[in-house]
Amino acid sequence: MLTFVLRRGFGLLVSTFLVITITFLLMQMIPGDPAAVMLGANATPEQIELLRESWGLNEPIYVQFAHYLANFLRGNFGESLFHHKPVLGIIAQRAEVSIWLSAAALLVVVGLGIPSGVLAAIRPNGLTDNTMLLVALGGASIPSFWLGLMLMTLFAGRLGWLPSSGFTSILETGDLANLKNLILPAFSLGFVNAALVARTTRSSMLDVLQSDYITTARAKGLRGWTVIMKHAFRNASIPIVTVISFTFASLVSGAVVTENVFALPGIGSLIVQSVLKRDYPVIQGIMFIVAILYVVINFVTDLSYASLDPRIRYRR
Amino acid sequence: MNRKRKHVKAKCSDERTRVAAISAGLWKFATKKRTTGVALIILLLLLVIAAIGPWISPYDADELRVTDRLQGPNRTHLLGTDHFGRDVLSRALSGTRITLLLGVSISAFALCVGLPLGMLAGFFDRFGLIVMRVVDALMAFPAIILALALMAIFGKPGIANVILAVGLVWAPRMVRVVYSATLTLRESMFVEAARALGVSTFRILLRHIAINLISPVIVQATFTFAFSIMEVAALNFLGVGIPPHVASWGGMMNEGRTYIIRAPWIILFPGLFLATAVLSFNLVGDALRDRLDPKLRRVV
Repeated sequence: MLTFVLRRGFGLLVSTFLVITITFLLMQMIPGDPAAVMLGANATPEQIELLRESWGLNEPIYVQFAHYLANFLRGNFGESLFHHKPVLGIIAQRAEVSIWLSAAALLVVVGLGIPSGVLAAIRPNGLTDNTMLLVALGGASIPSFWLGLMLMTLFAGRLGWLPSSGFTSILETGDLANLKNLILPAFSLGFVNAALVARTTRSSMLDVLQSDYITTARAKGLRGWTVIMKHAFRNASIPIVTVISFTFASLVSGAVVTENVFALPGIGSLIVQSVLKRDYPVIQGIMFIVAILYVVINFVTDLSYASLDPRIRYRR
Repeated sequence: MNRKRKHVKAKCSDERTRVAAISAGLWKFATKKRTTGVALIILLLLLVIAAIGPWISPYDADELRVTDRLQGPNRTHLLGTDHFGRDVLSRALSGTRITLLLGVSISAFALCVGLPLGMLAGFFDRFGLIVMRVVDALMAFPAIILALALMAIFGKPGIANVILAVGLVWAPRMVRVVYSATLTLRESMFVEAARALGVSTFRILLRHIAINLISPVIVQATFTFAFSIMEVAALNFLGVGIPPHVASWGGMMNEGRTYIIRAPWIILFPGLFLATAVLSFNLVGDALRDRLDPKLRRVV
């Protein structure tokens, strides 16, 4: 197990290095002089030159990269061009909503996806199964932002049951009622991914339900639900866990647009605002943090398989 | 003379049986499952709309009619009008062309980058190690975040920039599919035989591997198409995609946001167009995958 962890740990380091390199190279692709962009149209050439000097832009590219790497490792992501505050601080301020939203959406994914997948697998090709398949296919084809807008029209506009937009910090106000603002966004974001989880649960359950030990369990007179939950589901859960960990990336992607639809002040709306204002340091910071989160989640998932299934440790 | 005619005749009948076989195969593919047939018909319909859209649309997609603004679906405006009095149906039809154009261009871009790169990476181990590391790192960035960052770097909203940004997001996924398929093909008997016969590496790649990659690549291209038009719609919805004056489904939804309670149809219908297009591409992709290579389920 130790060799496995070390090997994967090395892979994690390489991926992190590559992610930093890619963000660096992408920012090098920006047309024009970053110093001139920062100072605006009224800047004199002397001012631009001064800023270039202080940012180290006149150094050769590998020296710039070394500085950049050192700064990143120290957690210094630079300063926003518009807010004139450290990037990390701005992102941290916006993180709360995004974390609440992702957690709530994950709850929808698991709560909707797994039960419907299990139900569909119990009677394959039955009415439930076909309905689920149709909903799952539809769910995978509906853009989450459109679903969000339609839910907003219905539940916030016509029926007036739920708030349509905005969010106040729960950490600051301590008011859990604010979570009500996340019901619609979490559902519209989670529903699309729940479809994927439902399909995986179904096929994984179908595989397991055909195995001999299930027949044995049934033959010795165990009740239907005991067999399904205790014997089948437990063994079918590994692929389901994989898919759920994969949904992370898609939740983050979806959250970017969903936060915009529901005017939630999270990281997703921050990156869109930063793109519209060309606030490159913030864009870079968000890209880096999200990618690293993804790499780390993959690493943890890998380790969890290895501890669940020893065969994986010995494979290359 | 006689022999030549015979030869030509044989070739013709050969061609004819081949064409017949292909069309029989296509027909079987289209009719095997009802959903696939329906999806193909919808795709065909979308293609027709994209081709002759301006001639069949009831109004000019960009014509402003302030007196008609925010009308619900009615007899003169089947899907209603937006805040400038533009006809929603005409705009949605006009959006079909740009959507399909972008989808095809993005898939083609991903293919042109992904096929050679994935093939070389699968064939040459050292090169593959480097390429796949970079591909993995690129795939660590969620699709929309990478596309947004690229749009910011390219500067202006525009059709070419959208193709490049979304294409660069989907190319690594194509590389991965081609790579894993090449790894399997490389070990196959016919490649070994070709090598033993002294066929050059370039020829092996072109005549033996590339040909066999056609099915996984077509399947992946179909999915790329479905995902990329969804992503393009998201970029347009966020206002960073193609210029706002060009009618697009995502752009229409963005403009309709302010009037969502008063005039939900401005958003409802372009969304339905988009969902239908994505759904039919997914269905056709699924069917193609089952038909061309059932083993692929695990790869993709």
